[in-house]
Amino acid sequence: MNNKFDALKDDDSGDHDQNEENSAQKDGEKEKTERDKGPSSGKRKAVVPGPAEHPLQYNYTFWYSRRTPGRPTSSQSYEQNIKQIGTFASVEQFWRFYSHMVRPGDLTGHSDFHLFKEGIKPMWEDDANKNGGKWIIRLRKGLASRCWENLILAMLGEQFMVGEEICGAVVSVRFQEDIISIWNKTASDQATTARIRDTLRRVLNLPPNTVMEYKTHTDSIKMPGRLGPQRPLFPNLWKTRVNVP
Amino acid sequence: MSGGSSCSQTPSRAIPATRRVVLGDGVQLPPGDYSTTPGGTLFSTTPGGTRIIYDRKFLMECRNSPVAKTPPRDLPTIPGVTSPASEEPPMEARQSHPRNSPENKPTGAEESQFEMDI
Repeated sequence: MNNKFDALKDDDSGDHDQNEENSAQKDGEKEKTERDKGPSSGKRKAVVPGPAEHPLQYNYTFWYSRRTPGRPTSSQSYEQNIKQIGTFASVEQFWRFYSHMVRPGDLTGHSDFHLFKEGIKPMWEDDANKNGGKWIIRLRKGLASRCWENLILAMLGEQFMVGEEICGAVVSVRFQEDIISIWNKTASDQATTARIRDTLRRVLNLPPNTVMEYKTHTDSIKMPGRLGPQRPLFPNLWKTRVNVP
Repeated sequence: MSGGSSCSQTPSRAIPATRRVVLGDGVQLPPGDYSTTPGGTLFSTTPGGTRIIYDRKFLMECRNSPVAKTPPRDLPTIPGVTSPASEEPPMEARQSHPRNSPENKPTGAEESQFEMDI
């Protein structure tokens, strides 16, 4: 299993590097984005709370991804489809981003917002995610914006009380339903996953009969037929895994 | 259905809003009275070590601070995401890939293609 992960990781980091160069050359919009971020990008310069701002326990990065039909499905295109929106370190900085982004319910097409701790990529391969899993809640249309806001406010405010375990959260806008999920580091830690589940119920005000699924990222790799949301969430990574021996 | 009800319910949660305050060397905390530390409530002995905890109500209040209303300097322009969706056609045109029309019009066929098994 470790080998599998390692192989994936190597694969992907290779793709990633190549990708950043390629996309900067052939994708004008992306190039602009990369330049605009320039030296103030979260990757290059530490993001810190401003004076008199309220610091968060962790810095977080917003990502956005959108499936682009008609392009070859590969890990490369996954990497190209996911964009960093920005990193913040304080409550005020969070609102600066959030207030200037559309609500998930107003996104068009097959899109995701990801909010992950700075330094953790919203991908299974990331070291923080490779032994992890996620709680998944499927929402009927119309609920995503409110649930996403409640979910990320709970995460930023450290409401889950599971130490370092939380990696990030995702909202996936799909055609028939929307999906929110929260990722944690250690899928085998049942006390943690139970606490996350209970906190989710509380902060989202979920009805008692709400179906909540926990899916380990390893299971998502091993059991393609039961992936459910994984294909729409990460269609391109999915392809990568199919090819892994 | 219950769009507003959750907002009116959540503030009743027991976890208090807190913020972390950096205290210089030599600053004395009032012994036994953490509620009057300079920055407000301070948790120093939670099981996982000090955590900066905010409840939803407090976070929502911060939304109204002037600094929170300024867009970040380095906010990338992603039409339909970080800027009005009406700019989407120009954005698609800027990209060298002529794939905007299928993208903008999710068809019935596409829906079934990505329908998720439960």
